[in-house]
Parts: sequence; structure tokens; C-alpha cells
Amino acid sequence: MASRDQALSLLAAANNHGDLAVKLSSLRQVKDILLSVDASFASELFPYLAGLQSSPQSLVRKSLVEIVEEIGLKAMEHAAILMPVLLTLVRDADQVVASQSIISGTKLFSSVLEEMTMQMHRLGRVERWFEDLWMWMVKFKDIVLTIMLEVDTVRTRMMALKFLETFVLLFSPDNNDYRKPVTEGRRHVFNVSWIVGGHPILDPVVYIADARRIIGVLFDLLKSSPSLPGCLTITLVNCLAAIARKRPQYFNTISSLLLDFKLNFQTTKDFHAPSVQYSLRTAFLGFLRCAYSPVIESRERLLRALRAMNAGDAAEQVIRQVDKHLRGAERVSHDFHVTKDDELATKMLFTGDFMKRRRLSQSEDDLFYNNHEMLSKKTRYGPNTISSLPVQTTDLMNGSLSMKEPPSVPVLDTELTPAEQMIAIIGALLAEGERGAESLELLITKMHPDMLADIVITNMKHLPKVSPPLIRVGSSQAISQVGSPSLPSHISASPGTENFLQSQVPTGQLPNPSVCAISTMPSATVVSNITLESRRDPRRDPRRHDPRLSLPAEIPSTPNMEQPNAMKSDWESSSLSKPLPSSVAISSKTPSGLPNADINTDEDMLEYASISETNKKIPEVAVFDDAKDSLLNIEVNIPSDLPLSPRQLDDNNSIAVKVEVMEQNEIEMADSEELEEYLPTVTSPSVIEDTVLELPSVPSYVELTSKQESNLLKLSVMRIIESYKNLNGKDCEGMRISLIARLVAQIEADDDIIVLLQRHILEDYQLQKGHELVLHILYHLHSLAVANSVMNSAEIIYEKFLLSMAKSLLDHFPASDKSFSRLLGEAPFLPSSLLKLLDDLCYLDVSDDRGTSLRDANRVAQGLGTAWSLIVGRPHYRESCLDIALKCAVHSQEEIRSKSIRLVANKLYQLSYISDAIEQFAQNMLLSAIDQNVLAVGKNILQPGGNEQPEVEICTDKTSLSGSEVSETATSETESTRDTQAPGQSSSVSLLDAQRLISLFFALCAKKPNLLYVVFDTYGRAPKTVKQTVHRHIPILLRALGSSCSELLQVISDPPQGSENLLTLVLQILTDEAVPSPDLIATVKHLYETKLKDVSILIPMLPSLSKNEVLPIFPRLLDLHPEKFQKALAHILQGSAHSGPALTPAEVLIAIHDIVPEKDSVPLKKAMDACSACFEQRTVFTQQVLAKALNQMVDQTPLPLLFMRTVIQAIDAFPTLVDFVMELLSKLVIRQIWKMPKLYVGFLKCVAQTQPHSFHVLLQLPPPQLESFLSKYPHLRGPLTDFASQSSIRASLPRSTLSVLELATESNSQQPHHSSPLPPDTSSSIRGATMT
Amino acid sequence: MRLRYAMVCSSNQNRSMEAHLLLKKQGFDVSSYGTGSHVKLPGPSIREPNVYDFGTPYKQMFDDLRRKDPDLYKRNGILPMLKRNMSIKTAPQRWQDNALDGSFDVVFTFEEKVFDMVLEDLNGRDQLLMKTVLVINLEVKDNHEEAAIGGQLALDLCLEIDAAADFWESAIDDILSGFEHRHRRKIFYGTSFY
Repeated sequence: MASRDQALSLLAAANNHGDLAVKLSSLRQVKDILLSVDASFASELFPYLAGLQSSPQSLVRKSLVEIVEEIGLKAMEHAAILMPVLLTLVRDADQVVASQSIISGTKLFSSVLEEMTMQMHRLGRVERWFEDLWMWMVKFKDIVLTIMLEVDTVRTRMMALKFLETFVLLFSPDNNDYRKPVTEGRRHVFNVSWIVGGHPILDPVVYIADARRIIGVLFDLLKSSPSLPGCLTITLVNCLAAIARKRPQYFNTISSLLLDFKLNFQTTKDFHAPSVQYSLRTAFLGFLRCAYSPVIESRERLLRALRAMNAGDAAEQVIRQVDKHLRGAERVSHDFHVTKDDELATKMLFTGDFMKRRRLSQSEDDLFYNNHEMLSKKTRYGPNTISSLPVQTTDLMNGSLSMKEPPSVPVLDTELTPAEQMIAIIGALLAEGERGAESLELLITKMHPDMLADIVITNMKHLPKVSPPLIRVGSSQAISQVGSPSLPSHISASPGTENFLQSQVPTGQLPNPSVCAISTMPSATVVSNITLESRRDPRRDPRRHDPRLSLPAEIPSTPNMEQPNAMKSDWESSSLSKPLPSSVAISSKTPSGLPNADINTDEDMLEYASISETNKKIPEVAVFDDAKDSLLNIEVNIPSDLPLSPRQLDDNNSIAVKVEVMEQNEIEMADSEELEEYLPTVTSPSVIEDTVLELPSVPSYVELTSKQESNLLKLSVMRIIESYKNLNGKDCEGMRISLIARLVAQIEADDDIIVLLQRHILEDYQLQKGHELVLHILYHLHSLAVANSVMNSAEIIYEKFLLSMAKSLLDHFPASDKSFSRLLGEAPFLPSSLLKLLDDLCYLDVSDDRGTSLRDANRVAQGLGTAWSLIVGRPHYRESCLDIALKCAVHSQEEIRSKSIRLVANKLYQLSYISDAIEQFAQNMLLSAIDQNVLAVGKNILQPGGNEQPEVEICTDKTSLSGSEVSETATSETESTRDTQAPGQSSSVSLLDAQRLISLFFALCAKKPNLLYVVFDTYGRAPKTVKQTVHRHIPILLRALGSSCSELLQVISDPPQGSENLLTLVLQILTDEAVPSPDLIATVKHLYETKLKDVSILIPMLPSLSKNEVLPIFPRLLDLHPEKFQKALAHILQGSAHSGPALTPAEVLIAIHDIVPEKDSVPLKKAMDACSACFEQRTVFTQQVLAKALNQMVDQTPLPLLFMRTVIQAIDAFPTLVDFVMELLSKLVIRQIWKMPKLYVGFLKCVAQTQPHSFHVLLQLPPPQLESFLSKYPHLRGPLTDFASQSSIRASLPRSTLSVLELATESNSQQPHHSSPLPPDTSSSIRGATMT
Repeated sequence: MRLRYAMVCSSNQNRSMEAHLLLKKQGFDVSSYGTGSHVKLPGPSIREPNVYDFGTPYKQMFDDLRRKDPDLYKRNGILPMLKRNMSIKTAPQRWQDNALDGSFDVVFTFEEKVFDMVLEDLNGRDQLLMKTVLVINLEVKDNHEEAAIGGQLALDLCLEIDAAADFWESAIDDILSGFEHRHRRKIFYGTSFY
């Protein structure tokens, strides 16, 4: 009681309080109280609660709705009191309240319905209050329907739509439901199929009809969509799509409506058109994801629509996914068939099969779809077509199938076909009399024609059951299912209408009468079964699976074959008892209201029936003749291995006919994927029943042997090629290309077709069409190969095609043509064989008998160019292409090598991502050239004979390793291999090989001077040939680098040990033609001063050095080998253009003489040699030069050691210098030369040599010296005495001198003796004058 | 009524996170998701992306990439991006795996494929709440610059939608048409239910 009062006061507060927050919280508390107390007690308060519906605050009303929902769900018995509130608030002006009302109403609706049904199941009756509540619910539905049509708040209408969607789903028999236990298993979803017949207030028929009516209303609404807000249109589309997805029976009508809808909405601009269009796209994609059969049948149409929306890719992706799942499921079931024990009884087999499938499907949720669909169809149609038969098996099956359903639900109710449901509805409407008539009319106008036809056909079952009623029904139904022109093939396999029936049945119906047929006409049935089986196999994997081989093994395991069904004998007897003609008559009559195409089909069938009849006596031979219907294809796929089906069946004529008949769109459909999509159509006639009239002609499916298939493909390709030669339109071109691509994908690497295509492609390659076609084909093949990891035949074809195409491009076009490179550059994937081709193109040395190369250098260039473009453009093949290029860079043929080196150094080396690899390779090559020899020298093995082999090996060895990133391991590996090779081989590298191996490195050096260091570093240990090669390369390289290259200077500044010669060479080259840069000079000088004391490195610099720089090093230069000194001398004297020579020749001479052996630690001999060297250069060291130098030196103190020697040499070389020399000698006398013993010797010698000119000088010597001279050179005494005795001279001579000459002792003759020297003196001076 | 927003791209790294940040700064109730099967970030080449599972913390990716090649990932903006993401939430979330996050009023996707997946996912759910959800696809290229622009555009749109609030159902056609007109960008929407 307390709680009642409390609740009342709270309600009052909720109603009257001024503060909204208080109102809401009060309301919440009321709710809590109501939910906590006893339901009957709470119900007393409901009227007060209902009073709140007039609250001015929308939030209060909204909360009220929520409370109504909660209480309604909990206390359903009393909820009816609150329902008026709900119904009022549904029409609330505030959209929030209205929406909430619909939401709450919907939940209540579903719960009430479910509870009510469950109660009926439990108790067998429904309580009174439920009826009341349900009436409210029905009212609610009606109101919502009007809201949806009339109200203009968008959200409310969206909610209303959602409710209607829910309603339709609840009241559409859900054939799908048990199929999705995984996705929806968490919730118990009610479905109309639960409702047991005879329900007091719930007549399923009425509500099913109502659901249909609502769909009709939705259709109308959609048609008026231009006046709707976009949001609503989209929701409407979504709702319809959801219904179609979840209830296959509505799929066809809804999908065709949506597909048509697309056409007329674009004219409107009231809403956001792209979004509406996209909602359709989403809907269609959603359809494609469903794997039940009506969808699969309309795939093509959906695809077209999606392509028109530019969603072709997305659509195909979805299809691929679905197909993959389907295939997976099919494979699983097939495997199961094969492994199953043959001896198992039918029931066991099927149950086991089913269980297995079920398990599988539960684990792989999506796979479930199709598999189960097929099964359900089989079981569902079982009882329909042979309903009067005692079909134990089927019932059992149904029991297991409908596990999710309440067990008491009769099997047949759940297994109604759409047509039968409709019949039930119509029946119900008819029963209602006047009231139903209106609905009936509406229903019929809304009904899709094919559904109508189905109804008519299904109704024929209920024709009077006179003999033979069952068969008639069965046969007519069977024929009505034959919407597909492919079915005549089944007929043809079975000689007679009875067999036709039987061949039909096994395809889709479980209780298989084929075994009974075997008893009468064994061969035919076997054939028909096999046809069925083989149809599936080769399509699933036509290349792996030869149906001829595999079939015999499968036959025994086919469930159709081994079902010793209980009902078969009944069936058989009745079927045989039926007169043939009548069956035919019925079949032609039944579809009278059908479109023409179908009638044609039926006529064909008649014809077939009669044909088969004629063939009845020879059941082994089924002749296929198809003259009338051009859409028909003939199926000739009867396993020839079977004893009962002879080979005659492979009739060549029929193939020819087929080719003629084949339409292009069929060719397109021949795509394997699409074929697979249609597969279920063929195997499950129930599907056809649903859709037979909607599709004018379901494409025919014909089984071909692989040979025929390939023939056909070939012919198709040829025809396409031919027919398009005359057409130039772009559209045609696109179509043609994609057609050919798909066809090629199916040929099994057939050489003929490739050759054919090649020819065609090459014909118009120039116009680029060929290229386009090739790429299209390649991409198609590649996508197949990638998409289908199992089937690698696409890969094989791909490789074969690409390879042969590439080869023919090479053969066909000149080397300058870019098409080869383009093909490789754009092909989706390059198999190794193609890389090999490229490799051969570049590398393979083709020589004739005489060893001259036949190779077209342009081809090599083409190959290298291609490799280049691949390296740049296809990172994936970078490594292999780089290998090729590098291999060529050490090719033994100069031309190839130089081309390749140019490419590698100029183009590839610039690419940062491969430069390291290139560098490493080049370095390895260099080292291999160098180290190989070092090793050999160490072992002292020389075997000139085996020169070739090791190099080749090493070369390839290196090449293969060059790709590897890890250079260290690469090197070590090569070393180890070399170690093993070395003992048996000679290892001196020939000049050619050295050249071959190191050229690349030098080319790289030009790009990256740092690398020079390696050359310097290894130079020391390099064999002679390598050194020579290096010497050959260095000048070219240095010219490219220039003398101020900093890296070069760096190397020079710190040359590695052993590289001195190279360094000298480098310096020489650097200074050879150009003036060395100051940097270089500084570097070299620095080097000389710090590290390398070898002055010879300075020689090349000498011209640029100043006098002050040269003089200090002069002794060192002098100390060099004479040859080098000569060179240095030349450099010194040569000088530079700017500053002139560092030293003049005279200065050089002086410098030479300035050398003091002890001080400069240069042997005197060297200086002497140097002097001699100077004298040899008479043009440089002229007599003037000598005179000048001597003149300067004579004044030096001390006199240069070699002075006298030089004087003597000078006078020897230039006798005309005699007077000058005399002057020098005189000077020396004045300088008391006798006091310098070493020089004095020379002096005396000189004097002696220059007599008589030197007499004058001699006489100037002091007497003791003169005396000693004369004692040394006694032969001069006479001439001297003669000279001195000349009167003029004698007079000037001191007495002491005369006495030495023994002229003074003769006092008489003293005078004349004294004067005697004079005349010669004058004469000598005269001579001297003339001489000078 | 305050609307709940979700920003969805394929990896929940760039576009959705950019928009997430912008909306968050503006005080919106926003979350972000990716629809891909994995989180993919550019690697040293197109063929070697860095692949992570959803739920791997941004921090962990950040450390991983910084260890691999700090220069590269700094240069291509991945590290800065991850750093930003770390400041927004812990780890990338997958749309399909986070149905329990509750219902959103507006979902932004930045790629058609993502839009399709979001709708497919929503349509595959039970839709018991009967709560409408607006899904808008704004096509944005997956690079930093475009993501910045796209994020801003998404924010502008959200502001407009927020202004319409309870009546977005009737306003959305005009909002999007106006937007399309102003920015010349491809945009469309769809609806679904929770």
C-alpha cells in the first residue's frame, strides 16, 4: 500500500511539478516501483500512468513511452491497458516521442507475437488477454502504416519503415532461418513459419498476405520517391534490400524493382541523388553477397547495373569472395562423396552427408549458404513433386534440417515453395469471401508474372487424381522446370520420356528413382548420372581434372546411384504405366501462358522427346541434332571410358554446329567463373522454378570434352579476331580485347592458339592495339593465377604466352623497337624464364665456327635498355636485371662490355638503391683480377694451358654473388672457391681478362673518385698484366677527373703502400698536358715533406716550382737514377708558361756544382754524371751558358769541387772557349790554385791540355809550381821554353821563372831567351782574338 | 541531444585520427576506427608495409619504427603521426570488432571501400535498437596533407549536422548538396539502424 501511495505521489509530481528534471526523476522512480511490485497490483496504477500522455513536455512523453515498453514486456497480461497510450503517442507531434513510440511498439509487437506463438505451442491455446493485446498490436501496425504514408517528419517515417521491414520479415516464411544459426543464433527470431496451423487468432495466411501487401505499399512508395526526402528513399531502399536478402522469395520482385528504379530517379533534384544511387549500389552489392540461387541467377543483371554505377570492381570482388566460398563448400561435399563407403545405405549416407556438411558449414559460416540452399531445395521439393509417395527418407531429412524450429511444426508447412505459399494465401483470401476479394485482386496485380505462372503450374498438382495423376503432375512439373535450354541435353542422354523424368529428378531431387531406371534401361541412366557428375567436375577445375579419367571412379560414390529407395518401385511402375504421348501433350500445354522463348523451348523438347523415342531401341547412341534453336548447345560429354556409353557420342558434326551457333555473349559467359555461378541453376531445378519466366532464356550449359572445349575456344578466338578486323570503334576494341583475354585464360596452354594470337598481335602491334591486347591477356591470366592459388595452369599459360610473345617481338621487330622493353615493363609479372630470355639477349655470346661474333650489338643494347628500364621501373626484378647488366659489364666481348659499362656507370650507378651492389660487384671483379694472381704467384704455379677456364668460373661465381647484399660473405665465399680452384689452375690473368674485369671499376671511379683508393690500395699486389691495364685506364680516368679533384688529392696525399709507381704515373699524367693545380702541388709537396720521401714524385711538379723551392731539393734530385734526373732536369728547365723555368741552365750547372758530397750525402759521382748529362744537352747548355756558369763559379769561395773538371769538359765540348778558359785559368793562378790540391790537379791537366794557349798562364805560375809542372809534363818543357824564349815574352818574365826554364843560366843568351816568349804571345793573342 | 560521432578509415591512423583530433578539440563526442583487416603503415617500399594488428598500441608501433629506421619514418611523417595518435588514444580500433562501443549517430568514412564495409557491417547486425545512424562518406586520399584537409572538412560538416541535431534526417540532403557545391568534393551518405 505504501508503495501505491508513493507511486501515486510520484506520478502527481511527474504530472504537475514545475521542474522538468523532477518530473523525469519522479517518472523513473515510478517505473522502478511498478517493475518491482506484483503485476496485477501495478496494473491498478496504469490508468494514472496513462494520464501522463498529455504532458506538455516531450521528454516526459518520451519517458512514458519507454516505461510503457518496459512494463509491457514484463507484465504483458496487463499491458493492454497501456496500449492506447502507445497508439496515441505514435501520432505525437514531436518526432522524438513518435519515433520512440514506434521503437517501443516494434519491440512489443515482436515480443507479443513470439510469446503468443510459444504459448500456443506450449498450451495448445492462447489466453484471452493475448488476443486483446494482439488486436492492439494489429492496430499499432495499421497506424504505423498510415504514419509512414502520411506524416511528414522524416525520422518518424524512417522508424515506421523499419517497423514495416520487421513486420514483413516476421510474416514471411523464413526458408533461410535455419541456415544462419551462427549469425543469428544468439537471438531467437520469430518467424511466421513457427505458427502452427489452426491458431485461433493468428492466421498465418492472412498475415503473410498482409506482409505482401506491405511490400506492395513500399513499392508504391518507392515509385513516388522523387517526392520523398533522400534520407527516406535511402532507408526505403535499405529496407527492401534487407527483405530481399533475408527472404529469397521476394528477391526477384524486389531486385527487379530496384534495378528499374535506377532508371527513373535521375531526373529529380530534390534530394541528394548520389547518395540514393549509392544506396542502390550498396543494396546490389549486398545481394551479390547472398549466395542463394535467385541471386546467383540474376548476378549478370546485378553486375551490369553495378558496372553502370562504376562499381564493377567492387562487385566482382564480392563475387569472387562468394564463389570462393561456394567452391570451397562444393569441394568439401565432393570429397566427401568420393571417400564415402559405397556400401552405405541411402539413409545413412545422406544423413551422414548432411551432418558433415552441417559441421563444416558451422565452422566456415559463409560456406554454409549455398550448400544448404541446395540441400534444402532438394528436401523441400522432394515432397512436393512426389508428395503422395511414402517418403520416409525425406521426412527424416526434414526433421534434421529444421532443427532450429519447434519440433511440433509440421514439415510440409516449413517446406512450402513460394508458389505454394501464394496458393495458400490465395486460398485463404478466397475463404474470406468479399473481404478477401479486394486483397486478392491487389495481390494478383502486384504479383510477378513468373510467380503467377508458378502458381498455375503448382496448382496442376491438384488436378483430379485419376490415373495416372501423379505422373502427369510430376512430368508437367518437371517440364515446367525446364526453362533452361540446357536440359534437352539431359533428355538426349536418356532414350524416352520416362528417362527424361528420371534424368531430371536426380539433379535436384533427393529420392532418387534412377536406380529403378537402371533396372529397365541401365545404360541411359548411367549416362545421365554421369553427365551430371561430370558437369560439375571439369568446371570446378577443368585443367586438373579430366572427366574421362575421373568419372568411373566417382560413379559408385554418387549418391544418386546408390539409393535403393523404398519408393522407387512405385515410382517406376507408375511412370512406366503412363502412356508416353499424354505426357508430351501435357508438357506442351502447361506453359501456355509463358513468353515465346519458353514455348520454343518446350517445342524443342517435344522434338527431343520424339527423337529420343526413335532412339529408344539403341540407347547407347544419343544423337544430338540441333537445327532449330540457335541458343541451344549440344552437350557431348559422355565419358568414353564407360562400357555402356560408346565413343560415337563424341560426334564431330555436333561440334561444328555448336561453333556456328555460339553467340558472342555466350562466349563471354564461358568464363569459368561465370560458369560456376550458374552451376547451381543446372543442378537444382527448384531454382528454375522460381525464376523460369523472368529470364527469357537461361544460358545453356553444355558439357564439352576438354578437346572440344579447346577447339571451340580456338575457333572463337579466330572468329573474334577476324570479325573485329573490320571494326574500328573503340567500344568494340575494348570488348574484343577482354573477350580474347578471357578465352586465352581458358585454353590449356595450347600452342596453336598462342601462335595464332601472336600472328594477330604482331599484325597491329604498331598501332598499339596489339600491345594493349597482350597486356590485357596477361593481366587477366595473372589475376586468375593470383586469385586462385590452387590452379596454377593460369600461371603456366601466362608464362608460356608472355615468353613466346616476347620472343616473337624480338624476332619480328628491329632492335630499335621499344615494344619488347615495353612489354616487359608493363607485364604484371615476369617469370624467371623471361628473365632468362633477357639474360640471353644481353649476355649469350653467339659465335660462328670461326669464333667471330654473330651477335647484333644493337640487340645487346636493346636487351640492356630493357634491363635498365626494368631496374628503374620494376623494383621486384631489379636484382635479376642488375645481375644481367653487371654480367655484361664483364663480358669477354669488348663491344657488349663497353655498352654495358656505359649503362651501368652512367645510368644505373646513379640510382642510389643499387649503387652499392654495383660498386660491390665492380670491386669484387677488380679484386678477382688482382688477387687471383697473387695467389698463383705464391704457389708458383704456371700452367698457361688452362688459362680460360678458371676465369670463366670465377666470373660467373662473382656474378651470382654480386646480387647478394652481404658483401663480406660474398667475398669470403669467392675466396674459398678460389682456394679450391687454385691448385689445379694457372692463375695469371691475361691482359684481356684484366681489361675485362677492371674496366667497370674504372668507369665507376669516374663517377665516384673515392673508389680510386681501392685501385691504389691493391695496385701494389696486382700482377703485371693488371698493372698494365691499370696504366692504360688511369690516363682516361684522370682526364675525366681533372687535377683538382679533391678525392684524387686525398688519395695522393696519403697513398697506400706499394702504389708509389702508380702515384708517379698519376702525377705525371696530371702534369703532362695541363699545368698542375696549386692544390695538387701543395698536396704533393706536403706528401714529400711528410710521408713519402721519394723526391721523384716531385719531378712532375718541378716546372711549377720556384727557384727557391727547387734548390733545396736539388741534391735529392741529383741523387736519383740518372734517367729520372734527366727527366727532372728537363722539367726544371722547361718551367711553366707563367713563371718561366725554375732554374736557368746556368743556374742548374751552378747548383750541380754547389753540391758538397759530404754535406748533401750525394756521391760525387752522381754530380759528375749530372754534369755529363748537362753537357750532353748541347742545345740547352750552350757555350754561352757554360761560360756564364763558369764565370760565376770561378769567383766562388771555395771553388766547387768539380769546377776544373767542368772547365776541362767545357773546353772539350767547345774548343772555341779556349780564350775564355785561359782567362779563367789566369784568374785561378791569381787565386793561387796550387793551394787547392784537388783542383790544382785539374788545373794542371787543363793547362796541359790547352797548350800552347796555356803557356801564357803557365808562365804566370810561381817558379816552384812551374818547376813541378814541368817535371810532371816534361814533354812541355821544350815548347814552353821555346815560347818563353821569345824576346817579347822573355822580357816580361821574372828571372826566377826563366831560371826554371833554364834560360837564366846562359847569361849571354839570357836576354834573347827572355824576350823569346813575346812573339808567341802576340801571335797567340792575335789567334785568340780571331778565335773569340 | 548530443550526437555521437565516429570517424572511420582503413587503418585508423591517418585520416580518421586527424578528424578525431579536430573533433575532439572542438568538444565533440567522437571515436575513431579502421575497417581493414590489419593496420598497415608504409614501409621502406610499397611491397614491404609495416603490418600490425588492430589493438597494437600506437606507442609500440612508434618504438618499433623508430628502431627500424628513424630517418625514413621521420621523413615520411609516420613517426610524427604516431606520436599525434598516441596523444589521442591508446591503439587503433577495428570498426567491425567494436560493435559493443554502442551506437553512433553519425559515422564518417573517408573512402568508398570503408563506407561499404561499415554499411555491410551495420546491415549484418541485428538492428534491435532501431536507432538511425547516418553514414557519410567523404573521399579523402590517404596522405598527410589530404588528411588535414579532409579532417577540417569533416569538422565543418559535423558542425552543420550538429546544428541540425534532431532534424538531421530532413536537413542532410541540403547540407550535403551545399557542401558538394562549395567544395566540389565527392560526398554521399547512407543510413542504417542500430
